[in-house]
Amino acid sequence: MKINMAVFFGCRSVEHEVSIISAVQAMRAVDKEKYNVIPVYVAKNGTSYTGDRLFDIENYKNMESLLTTLHPVTLLRENDRVVMRFLDNKLFKKNEDKNIDICFPIVHGTNCEDGTLAGYFEYLGVPYISCDIISAAVGMDKKVFKDVLAAHNLPMLDCICFTAKEYRAKQKETLKKIKDEIGFPLIVKPVNLGSSVGISKVYEENKLAECIDLAVSFADKVLVEKAVENLREINCSVLGNTDECEASVLEEPVMSDDILSFSDKYLKGGKKQGGEKQGMASLSRKIPADLDSDKTNEIKDLSKRIFKALGCSGVVRIDYLMNDKTGEVFANEINTIPGSLAFYLWRESGIEYKELIDRLVDTAFYRQRKRDNLTFVYESNILESANIGGAKGTKGKL
Amino acid sequence: MELFYIYSALLLVAASSLFSLCFQFQMLQQNSYYASRYFKWIKNSFAVTSVILSLLYFALTFLFTAKLYKYFFIFAAVLFVIRLLLMIRRTKKSIKPIVFTARVKRLFAAALLVLVLLTLLFALRKENISGQLAMLLILLLSSLTPLLCFLSLLICSPVEKAFNRYYINDAKKILKSQKGLIVIGITGSYGKTTTKFILNRILSEKYNTVCTPKSFNTTLGVVRTIRENIKPETQVFICEMGAKKKNDIKEICDIVNPKYGIITSVGEQHLETFKTLDNVFSTKFELLDSVEKNGGVCLASLDSPAICERAGKKPHALYIGKGTNYYTSDIKSSPLGSEFVLNIKDKRLPLRTKLLGAHSISDIMAAALLSNMLGVSDNDIIGAVASLTPHEHRLQLKSYINGSTLLDDAYNSNPVGSTEALKVLGSFEGMRKTVITPGMIELGDMEYEANFNLGKACAENADDIILVGKNYTKPIADAINETDFNTERLHFVSSFKEGLDIFLNYADKNSVLLIENDLPDNYLK
Repeated sequence: MKINMAVFFGCRSVEHEVSIISAVQAMRAVDKEKYNVIPVYVAKNGTSYTGDRLFDIENYKNMESLLTTLHPVTLLRENDRVVMRFLDNKLFKKNEDKNIDICFPIVHGTNCEDGTLAGYFEYLGVPYISCDIISAAVGMDKKVFKDVLAAHNLPMLDCICFTAKEYRAKQKETLKKIKDEIGFPLIVKPVNLGSSVGISKVYEENKLAECIDLAVSFADKVLVEKAVENLREINCSVLGNTDECEASVLEEPVMSDDILSFSDKYLKGGKKQGGEKQGMASLSRKIPADLDSDKTNEIKDLSKRIFKALGCSGVVRIDYLMNDKTGEVFANEINTIPGSLAFYLWRESGIEYKELIDRLVDTAFYRQRKRDNLTFVYESNILESANIGGAKGTKGKL
Repeated sequence: MELFYIYSALLLVAASSLFSLCFQFQMLQQNSYYASRYFKWIKNSFAVTSVILSLLYFALTFLFTAKLYKYFFIFAAVLFVIRLLLMIRRTKKSIKPIVFTARVKRLFAAALLVLVLLTLLFALRKENISGQLAMLLILLLSSLTPLLCFLSLLICSPVEKAFNRYYINDAKKILKSQKGLIVIGITGSYGKTTTKFILNRILSEKYNTVCTPKSFNTTLGVVRTIRENIKPETQVFICEMGAKKKNDIKEICDIVNPKYGIITSVGEQHLETFKTLDNVFSTKFELLDSVEKNGGVCLASLDSPAICERAGKKPHALYIGKGTNYYTSDIKSSPLGSEFVLNIKDKRLPLRTKLLGAHSISDIMAAALLSNMLGVSDNDIIGAVASLTPHEHRLQLKSYINGSTLLDDAYNSNPVGSTEALKVLGSFEGMRKTVITPGMIELGDMEYEANFNLGKACAENADDIILVGKNYTKPIADAINETDFNTERLHFVSSFKEGLDIFLNYADKNSVLLIENDLPDNYLK
């Protein structure tokens, strides 16, 4: 028997297309002897589809014609199984329900990577790869992420954080506060978007308001932090679960601009190779990063501590900002579902993509087993013996 | 008008026999659909009500042959009401109600078929001898519903056989398609269900496991688990194997082909069918034969005296317990659990458990050793054992009414376990200790002795003893009467509910109640 694996991608997120690239890559890498891959593409309007044409990236070029060949589906729980049901079943043209053994979300950004999908899977009670609700949610909100790191004495940059409404009400005070407490150059970013969307580096006061306005158009909450001088960006991936995890080799993305922009991450990377966009995997970067072994081990160790502090699971990528002169390292953000699942880092760490996915599946079942060993639903029914409305209340007989 | 009376009466008779069948099928189900065991139960539970009922039916037959159709109808209506009331009373008293499985529905269909065919025969050939005979047969079957029950069982048997063959082949196919699946068989006269759950808990630290649920341990129970619970990601299947006669274990092994095995104990369970302990031993060790054939390892516990005596006969098992390289030591027990050291050759693994009783330690030992062989880390074993909670009704410590304590050992029915349970009860020093039990059954020649010993253990450890069912508990009472136990504190009751009421009279925070072996209805008399 093969394990039926539903791969979720797309979703109502600004990183919709990136997710498609990551997912198509992953679906190609999956060991077909072990798994039966069922693609579940969540369109931009939120409808879920399945279909064989979802395996080929070429088909996504004409989205309209692709959608007409797909079947709308939904997942639901029936007794102790989770099944995928086709919503376009006709009387004589019927697709059988498919058992779903494991869900594999390869999604980026809000409305999915932020714990939303994890919550959906938890609700269904189906084993799933990647972080659980709380770690994914913390990972998505850069401010809460900083707060959690601070609570664990892990290195990060202090920041000023405000909502769009607060900013508009007290614009002058806020700008002054930023100037006094943070100073230039500084970074403005929405708290909850990945892939560098809405982020800008500000060198002088007269550009600050403009950049904040850009940021608040993407998110309700914005944070401002000091820009690290002599900046080097270092990334590290962590694989495993809260009880046991390992860190990958480090990478250093090569910047064309001051900060790695959305276009750096995804648009320039689109060198055609076999007609496919490569996503994060093709970005120009140094692997392993050019750091001495002490620094490398420090960052790897830090990554595992952050992974555990958040209670992560699956594969994540943690991005650091490093001052090359002082050697100071600050955790900048965590991607709880990194682009291309950071497979290019694991390949350099000696784990091929196929094996990486096997390991991810193990983490999902491991977490499920741990939950099964806890008690959620008591077998006995208190209502059976309760004397509702009686004088004794719930203290009825056994 | 005559015809109306006759057919209405027939309808009532048929309906009332279906009521009665409900109960008969329930008993048949509790006897695992074995006709022999079912009839034995009938023999043992012969009641005055059945005699009265038979006489009433005799009268009914007389009314029919005397052509007093109006009275025939009235009488049938009366009988209908009686049987309806009987059924309602029985359902209310029932501890383990009938489960309307597909099989029970087929049995009902068969019974209905018999009644309908006979009615048709009567309707077509009313005046002929065959028509009259058909009517008499209906009345006979209705009065002796066990006969109708047996007839249904007979009619259904070829259908059931075909179903079973299909299910078994399907299960084999599923197991074959599951590459790398580790199959573990667990058998033994007692301790197998607990060992299974413990093993499942420890192995789940490392593997995706499936085990037979509850105390499913028959061929068909195992087949059902395979078909319903084994999923593509399953890596380990733990299969409890029960035996009531020779070759039962082999039959299950031939389906699942275990690579590993645990034989927990050999004892007096089901001696009625096994006759001798040697037969029990060789049946349980059918598991070893199968494991050997599959090139695996089978553990057998020398903590069971009957295995210890016969170990020489089966040198290829991996014996564990006293006198081997695998044993427990430094045991410290309290009413809240035990601490002990598991010795694996030179390694010492300190374990702590909330499970009560010395027999639990033996079960943990076997499960932990096999987990160790299957690569579960020491820390995972220690953690999993510490997290074990007693399974429902297996020496489970609970708080009970008015702050009293309940030791729920309702699912246990073996001599070793029950003695251990009473020892645990005895360890509640300074409290008023009550035991309620109907005794143990299916122990063949040993039944009297085992229950007698249970009685001695009760007298030693309890302050109040409540025995359910005077007939079955006689050996227990005999033992108690031999000691100087105050007979005023020995109570006989006819049902558990009645027994509980006695305890509830004085239940407070200083009292503890042990429920020992709560059997299904068919033994309550």
